[in-house]
Amino acid sequence: MENMGTLRPEIARLIAAKEQRRHKLAALSFVEKVRVVVRLQQMVLPVLRARGHAARAWVLDDSNPVGQK
Amino acid sequence: MQVLNVLERDGALSRYAIGGAMGATFYVEPVLTFDLDIFVILPQTADGLLTLEPLYAALRARGYTEEGECVNIEGIPVQFLPAYNNLLVEALAEARETLYEQTPTRVLRAEHLAAIAVQTGRDKDRQRVRLLLEQALLDDNYLASVLARHGLEARWKTWVP
Repeated sequence: MENMGTLRPEIARLIAAKEQRRHKLAALSFVEKVRVVVRLQQMVLPVLRARGHAARAWVLDDSNPVGQK
Repeated sequence: MQVLNVLERDGALSRYAIGGAMGATFYVEPVLTFDLDIFVILPQTADGLLTLEPLYAALRARGYTEEGECVNIEGIPVQFLPAYNNLLVEALAEARETLYEQTPTRVLRAEHLAAIAVQTGRDKDRQRVRLLLEQALLDDNYLASVLARHGLEARWKTWVP
């Protein structure tokens, strides 16, 4: 596998940006993170349901969902 | 959180704190999970047995129903995990007080979450330790003392060489 030292600059930049985004997510408030978790649940549910899982996304008492002001 | 606080106030549980994936999410990037793990110290029973039944009865009395190993509280499957060893008792005693919106709550310390993951030892626990090391601000001295107190140093060294 190609190591970081030999990656093309644009790929290295993409990976660095991805890492930066993960750290930004880690720095969100707990309330915002819970909203992100619910969004993740909503995104993955169709796949899980297609596989026969009975999972449900959480319903938050929330007037400011992710991505909306 | 409000329901948990009421249960604690009314004595259905002695103390609680958020753990598991949501506990970790307090310190690191959001992690996909479908249930909320709540670690609890249960009140002493007359016969000394560790049972969740009185807690479940208190929840049923408030209209919350069991779904498998969880209880559905306001649309969230909550799994109650009694503190069954010294590490968990300590983790609960030293859990961090915080607010969720305006509601007071507690989250296990990141160092305890890491130690519990090492003690539990599943693949997903290794992933949790990796994330905590990468993104949480761990107090190294405190973590070392927790690992030493609970005999987890050797396994920690195999996980984090």
